[in-house]
Amino acid sequence: MVCALLAPAHLMMNVPGEAAIPDPAPTASDLAALGKRIFFDPSLSASGRLSCASCHSPGHAYGPPNGRAVQLGGPDLSVQGARAVPSLRYTLNRTPVWSKAYVASAADRILEGNEPPAGGFGWDGRFNSLREQAAFPLLAPNEMANSSPADVAAKLQRAPYAQEFRRLFGTQILDDPAAAYTRALSALERFELDDPSFHPYTSKYDGFLEGTAALSAQELRGLALFNDSRRGNCASCHLDAQGADGSHPNFTDYQFEALGVPRNPEIRANASTAYFDDGLCGPLRTDQAQQAAYCGMFKTPSLRNVAIRATFFHNGRFHSLKEALRFYVRRDTDPKLWYPVSASGSVDKFDDLPPPLRANVDVIDEPLTRQEGAAPAWNDAEIDDVIAFLKTLTDADAQPASAH
Amino acid sequence: MILGTALGSVLGLASFGRSHVDHVTTDAAHVRHVFVIVLENKTFSDTFGTSTQDPYLQKTLVPMGALLTEYYGTGHVSLDNYISMISGQSPTKDTDDDCLPGFTGSIGNYNDVEQTGVAPQGQIAASGGCIYSRQVRTLPEQLERAGYSWKGYMEDMGNDPARESATCGHPTIGIGTDHTNTAEAPSAAVPLGDAYATRHDPFMYFHSIIDHPSCNTHVVNLNVLTQDLAEERTTPNYVFITPNLCSDGHDGAGTGAAGTTCANGQPGGLTSADAFLKVWVPKIMASPAYQKDGLLIITFDESNYVQDASSNPSTGQTTVDITFPGQTCCNQQPGPNLAGARPGTFTLVNTPTLVENIVINGYGGDRIGALLLSPFIIAGSTSSTAYNHYSLLRSIEDIFGLDGHIGYAADDPRTGYYLDSIADDKNIFHHLNEWGPWTEAPAGPKF
Repeated sequence: MVCALLAPAHLMMNVPGEAAIPDPAPTASDLAALGKRIFFDPSLSASGRLSCASCHSPGHAYGPPNGRAVQLGGPDLSVQGARAVPSLRYTLNRTPVWSKAYVASAADRILEGNEPPAGGFGWDGRFNSLREQAAFPLLAPNEMANSSPADVAAKLQRAPYAQEFRRLFGTQILDDPAAAYTRALSALERFELDDPSFHPYTSKYDGFLEGTAALSAQELRGLALFNDSRRGNCASCHLDAQGADGSHPNFTDYQFEALGVPRNPEIRANASTAYFDDGLCGPLRTDQAQQAAYCGMFKTPSLRNVAIRATFFHNGRFHSLKEALRFYVRRDTDPKLWYPVSASGSVDKFDDLPPPLRANVDVIDEPLTRQEGAAPAWNDAEIDDVIAFLKTLTDADAQPASAH
Repeated sequence: MILGTALGSVLGLASFGRSHVDHVTTDAAHVRHVFVIVLENKTFSDTFGTSTQDPYLQKTLVPMGALLTEYYGTGHVSLDNYISMISGQSPTKDTDDDCLPGFTGSIGNYNDVEQTGVAPQGQIAASGGCIYSRQVRTLPEQLERAGYSWKGYMEDMGNDPARESATCGHPTIGIGTDHTNTAEAPSAAVPLGDAYATRHDPFMYFHSIIDHPSCNTHVVNLNVLTQDLAEERTTPNYVFITPNLCSDGHDGAGTGAAGTTCANGQPGGLTSADAFLKVWVPKIMASPAYQKDGLLIITFDESNYVQDASSNPSTGQTTVDITFPGQTCCNQQPGPNLAGARPGTFTLVNTPTLVENIVINGYGGDRIGALLLSPFIIAGSTSSTAYNHYSLLRSIEDIFGLDGHIGYAADDPRTGYYLDSIADDKNIFHHLNEWGPWTEAPAGPKF
């Protein structure tokens, strides 16, 4: 799987059972160019109105273009997706395959903190390659809603780039639905990995790291609060330091974390008290279903361009950055702000997880350690400082219009 | 290039015991290329006994070499063992715990040793910390002083150049968490993943090495070794090899079962260690330098643990003790820094249902064993003479005729501390000029 993801184009072509391809094989740039056309093609959906770019909007750093908790799909664009749409910027070629390294020595496991799982694409890390990931929205009934790979291939035959498809993969490629479908996924993958628009590094913070921009006093205060391991402790997961080679940070460690985000009534499936989105242990992901300790974990997203989002966390529960940050620092000090309160006054904390799994929620790492009634890690003014810093992570092409 | 010139005498770090090296009395005197491969966390009785995961080591290499059955690690957990191998230094309260802060040390991470004085045998007394000052003597400095070459070859170092440099790779001093503590799985940008661990690279803990530009040519990625082995003149006299966290057996159970693998998907454990040896030992043994005058030492940093679980039926709370005997050999001394840290019991997990304690009953690293391969070795031989990592350092100093024994590589008659030299072990080496292949004087140092 990993090898397929990484292999040069000419090595990926002669797969047994798949259509022969012309010699020479398509170049990576040709593949990426075709992938781009596929990415922006709404005709590949059952509705005819939904492309990859509809939810992963280039004008919004490849994140959602609106404030919906989850986006709408299906044949008539009325069915909710399962989770909030993440930005595709920065992380795609750096996301490790899903893994949970097993440290052989129990002593070392304890001593080194038994790191959580990391990597894989999607909130639950269930895809190890972008080509696998791309298949999901194409076929998901609540997204692009194609009934089968052949259904996608039939649409490819009618696509305006069908001739280009044949040029790259052979004149008979579109007569072989399985092969055509596979090639389309490869092209999408190449576009997402190679196109510079996925990793522009044009934010103010990038300029700050390069010494070409200065942060304001408020932004610097926010950065300090972001880094303070005794309070906000954000940088422990959202890594913000330059790499050993001077590379700029992507503000994620790709690890999984159970935050205990409140249940979101905007998601219709949550009307059922029997439905829970347990992230890493299901229901969308199935191979870790027996790992009860993983339930409630979702992958840490990048914070680049977070300030232009209008929906936060895996279930889109919050719609402003201030609200999201207040949740972090007051989740435990003021739980009644976030969770249902019974008539007797008890708080149904971590209500988006089944009660037996709520012990998985992180109460060890700052700022998630505090007792009810204690002072939160940040006051509102400090939250504003952190927001000011987070706004420096917005790329030049994603700045709100008022900022230009 | 000589690092840290005359440092020992300047700071009074000279050994108190036999500081001069010994005349080697076996054919080990002819050795001019020493190769060291250090694996991780396995007990002698497993590695060279019950394990079925390392058939190449047990069934192919052991009959070809000499097995040291009473070879001990010098501490728990990893880093202090590596440091002892190249400096003779005993642990600080941070290096004894891999510089993970908050266990027994208060400084931790990749920070300087906070030196408070110098104890007998050149031992650095310190309140904690991890990176020794330029004044602390090392085997590389000794080798260079004598005109011998050395290199550290680190598997995976720099695979992810954002994680660490491909040469002399270490975290920035003082930035906090060492991200090389956790293996990185493969990605599009880092196809092989990156399981280099700074804490398994002893050279990174000495300012005399990392502060010098030559560090970039001395401590390199393992993939450089193949070309360096091509000719005797390009093969360093001292070669230190650290496999990645999977290849050294640190990660993975070795079975390949789901949920027990390394981050890169390999089985790890002795299975991956054996696979590593199967690739690299033949390359080393085929090299001109080894065939002429080589000695390869394969050992481990420390032994594994013993686990005891007990359940308290009245509370339902299970207590798990992860116990290291911490045995030493050779009247090893603890050094000046371990009061309150070794022995010790440390509760690291305490929940209503589970208590996990790490119990370290001594300051040694327990019995790990070592295998030596060399043209001068008696194939299939065994020695039950007690050795440890300090003995290994001492032996290398003797073999190369270096300028004395540093740190705990030196004896101290006042404490009855005395180390045998592996190079003088006539159970495993032929007597000098008696049976060995050598008929001419050994080559001198390379300048």
